[in-house]
Amino acid sequence: MLERFIQSLHVEDVGEESPPDTRERMKTLFPRNSLRRMTQLGLVVGRALAHVQPKREDPLIYVSSYGETRGLEAYLESFPSPSPTLFQTSIHPCGAQQPLVAWQQPLDEFHAMTGDGDLALRGLVTALLAPASRVLLCGGEEKGTWLLAHRLASPRTFAFALALTREPVGDFYGRISLERRHTTRAASADPAVEALPDFFNRLIARQGWTTPVQQDLELTMEWK
Amino acid sequence: MLALRSDFRPRIAASGCVTAFGATEVTHRCLLHGRRALQDVPCLGNAGGDPVPLALVPNRTLDSPVPGSWTDSLNQLRAEIPDAPWGTDRHPVFVTSSNFGAGGLYQFRQSGCSTDLSDSTPFGSVAWIARHMRWGTTVSASSHACVSAHLGLLQASRYLEAGLADRALVFSFDYLSPFVVGGFHALKILNRDWPAPYEDRAGGAVALGDAVAFAILTRDEGDYLLAEQQLYNEMHHFTGNLPSGEGFRQSLAVLATAAAGRQVWCKGHGTGTLDAGKLEAESLRATFPGCPLVGWKGGIGHTLGSCGLVELALVLRSFARGEAPGTVGTSARCFVDEVATKPFSTASYEGAVCLSNAFGGAHAGLLVTHA
Repeated sequence: MLERFIQSLHVEDVGEESPPDTRERMKTLFPRNSLRRMTQLGLVVGRALAHVQPKREDPLIYVSSYGETRGLEAYLESFPSPSPTLFQTSIHPCGAQQPLVAWQQPLDEFHAMTGDGDLALRGLVTALLAPASRVLLCGGEEKGTWLLAHRLASPRTFAFALALTREPVGDFYGRISLERRHTTRAASADPAVEALPDFFNRLIARQGWTTPVQQDLELTMEWK
Repeated sequence: MLALRSDFRPRIAASGCVTAFGATEVTHRCLLHGRRALQDVPCLGNAGGDPVPLALVPNRTLDSPVPGSWTDSLNQLRAEIPDAPWGTDRHPVFVTSSNFGAGGLYQFRQSGCSTDLSDSTPFGSVAWIARHMRWGTTVSASSHACVSAHLGLLQASRYLEAGLADRALVFSFDYLSPFVVGGFHALKILNRDWPAPYEDRAGGAVALGDAVAFAILTRDEGDYLLAEQQLYNEMHHFTGNLPSGEGFRQSLAVLATAAAGRQVWCKGHGTGTLDAGKLEAESLRATFPGCPLVGWKGGIGHTLGSCGLVELALVLRSFARGEAPGTVGTSARCFVDEVATKPFSTASYEGAVCLSNAFGGAHAGLLVTHA
């Protein structure tokens, strides 16, 4: 069995807050020169990460289906004179890289993952397989504009971060485990489809989750 | 067993790539002859722009449909991948890319034709490839710019280590479009010049290339061992490295420990940029003095998220054929004497150090040895 304890958790749901308002609200978290260039996704992921305080030796697993949606939209709009800054900002891992560069916080392992209905599950398994004593799982999405109209972006901006430790320390929030099942399910049993916003809602509600990972393998997230 | 073993080292049972030259054997042979697959292409394709050196796979242009124009090279690679129920519980697939189907979004912005939008999200393009390759649904996707392939290798290794898989297929792809070519051109590192990796010259230049590659990792089958894998992220600047070279030294330290006592050669990242190229070459000389250093992006272009896996396949082919290509496109004085500009025999070497770098000061490296 592989298990991790949820040592800290932060969820960031900005609702309909505009990017400038988010920037204003988070202005104390980042150096001014970095703040003015950060996207809304970078800001909210940064705020979530600030709560779990990344350290170099903590592997960071970052999950996002769409990544830097506004940066991507703006970069595409910049053609036929593509913006070098927006090109950098549009790359998938940039949501987590922005706060980490702002803080000059190096990391050994940084896993930027993408996916659809199984993304949260794949991210959790990746976190469980990391050998470090403490591992961070964070993620988020950014509400799109014209990409959203084509169903190519998230309808909602949010972010979350969890610090997961091998041993329980103090007043931990819950536990995530991966273990063999004694009874196998039907061959057609697939992992439950749970898109990132659904997983985010689960974190807000501290709702438990049990889902097959393989036919004889189950992931469980439970709260104290 | 569902547990992690710190002494676990996966083996590589098979690997391969398709580049602008063709499949692995052809690519390796072309690089041995110092050939370059680069052609000057307007950086925005049909929309014009400065000519820049690109290496596109046959039957593709920068404006070719996404993902339809990927089919020929995917089919060519599929012919090299051993049959197995890929994408099922015991045979998971780890897909990595930097750009996925983003070229489709550019085409949509240009044409306004919404049919171009299908498969343009990261997961949409992965799902398209999974269908095309006839994989099941156990497919993970990672994207960390030009070190993406190394994430796939590490995650696959951990699945094997924990007993979650019998064999794992790591698959990496990147196909060029004006989306990415225009971006690198805007950064000015992709320009009219052709790259000369590690050459001490006045201006830096990179070339970009299409490519797709795979490696099959196992617990105990295969002639090669992934003896060490390493990641390090400076998080100092989005496109630059710490000027002190500290990031390179940090990342090489782990590999040096793993390689201690072994005769190795180095396949560097070597895109053709000056600052990063110099830091990389000098750090390698300090860590692995006297070990030959080569870079092949002057021949096949920088294949972005796939480069780690493409070049690993070429390293393994070099061991199998007994000869490694020299640094292609470089002929004048280099940053360090260790840069090999001519092919050399691999017979006396026990392993190779393979490096990749990416935005954010990301470093990824591995040590591959004979099993």
